[in-house]
Amino acid sequence: MIAKLSKNEIPDPQTTWVVFKEVIKQPFQDDADQKGIGTKLLSSLGRVGIGFGLGSLFAVPIGLIMGSSKIAMRIINPMVQILRPVSPLAWFPLGLAIFQDSPKASVFMIFICCLWPTLINAAFGAAHIPQDHKNVSKAFGFSTWQYLSKILLPFSLPHIITGLRLSVGIAWMVIVAGEMLSGGTGLGNFVWEEGFNGGSTAKILVAIIIIGLVGSLLDKCFMWLQQKFSYTI
Amino acid sequence: MSNTLPLDESITEIAERILEQATSPQVSIKIEQVTVSFKTPKGVYTAVKEIDLTVNKGEIVALIGHSGCGKSTLLGTISGMVKPTSGQVYANDKKVNSPGPDRGIVFQNYSLLPWLSVYKNIEVAVRSAMKELSAAEQAKLTETNLRLVNLWEHKDKLPGQLSGGMKQRVAIARAFAINPKILLLDEPFGALDALTKSAMHVELLKLWNLDHREKTIVMVTHDIEEAIFLADKVVVMNNGPAATIREIVNIPLKRPRNKKEIVHDQMYMEIHDRLLNLLIDKFSIDDEH
Repeated sequence: MIAKLSKNEIPDPQTTWVVFKEVIKQPFQDDADQKGIGTKLLSSLGRVGIGFGLGSLFAVPIGLIMGSSKIAMRIINPMVQILRPVSPLAWFPLGLAIFQDSPKASVFMIFICCLWPTLINAAFGAAHIPQDHKNVSKAFGFSTWQYLSKILLPFSLPHIITGLRLSVGIAWMVIVAGEMLSGGTGLGNFVWEEGFNGGSTAKILVAIIIIGLVGSLLDKCFMWLQQKFSYTI
Repeated sequence: MSNTLPLDESITEIAERILEQATSPQVSIKIEQVTVSFKTPKGVYTAVKEIDLTVNKGEIVALIGHSGCGKSTLLGTISGMVKPTSGQVYANDKKVNSPGPDRGIVFQNYSLLPWLSVYKNIEVAVRSAMKELSAAEQAKLTETNLRLVNLWEHKDKLPGQLSGGMKQRVAIARAFAINPKILLLDEPFGALDALTKSAMHVELLKLWNLDHREKTIVMVTHDIEEAIFLADKVVVMNNGPAATIREIVNIPLKRPRNKKEIVHDQMYMEIHDRLLNLLIDKFSIDDEH
């Protein structure tokens, strides 16, 4: 219907399906001039993985410290509030200036964007540990390590996973934009170069479908984690 | 003659002192002039004021009073969770500054860690409170105490899968497992139904007996029957704010006490009426008003 409305500017499902089959015919082709969609997908996923992993590595501990200490909250929170609303794309040139390398700059962009949801959720979790649990720790003389591993982390974990789930969603959204800017191998590059510049709207549609599917798959993974680590009181 | 007389006197004096120490009960908890005030947005709120109380070793003492009369606050000063604004608390001859494993606590809302199994909940407490034991000894202690409360077959369940009574048994087993000299119970059975509550009373006394009645137990309650059945002394508190001790009622009922028989005991009925009178000033609603 959309195809009809746009006077075939946007291809109909059959055409898209044909292109889709063509695109995924040789998914892992990795020649210098021609790369398969699978290779591009993997390279995008790789960047998201590195950026997201590094981001989480920073965000979880900082968030937990922020949630546990009022002083840390007062120091870090204003910075977070100022930096958080900055558009991911604004970080890209900064990354480029730092690393002088566009793929690294997109990883940097993802790293920054992955920080906030995880950090804020981890801080929320750590700040809301019930007094009862703290009392148990006091009454039985838990060591700092026991407090961290038996109370702080388990209680904050569902919150942390919620944060990670939001972060990975953002990362996946941002990577496409990043790769459009940076070029190189990746899904964003596929949309821009082969789809738009290559004059194939069907390819854009195919890319949208693939991006959507992979994104929801990532989300499913974290939803599964969320359920696995939820507990009843 | 005149030279030996002072010596004789001092010998008898010493002998008497030794004898007195041996026969008089050992003091387990000593509360001296304790006042606890909190800062609130409306100003300073005094929960309890100038409380003096001595509890002997192996005694069971019940703190009873209306809601918000500061019984839990007073218990908190013994556990070390609450710092007195003025006055001192001594437990096991040491000044209380912070919570410690010589005082086991059972909280009203069980306070089990919901992500740990029943077994792990006890093990983690044993591990932190009894560091000097080997891992095998810690495991054995955990098992013994779980078996004592008949929860061994539920050891792998999470607290969320247990009933209220079972959760409280885990909490009691946890407190007993670290073998404290003093056991502090903050309205331990308040959230349980009457039948479970009765069973838990017997269970608690059983554990206390197994330990040769050497543990001092202080419990907060608002249940008169519970207080009489369990305690040697009932401390009745006035209404807050600035609550004080209204009266200490001794319960000289013989142990072991039987739930069914005890209620027909003349002494039980007298104590029950007495406590009721102390707690409730008006027995009926005045129709005149």
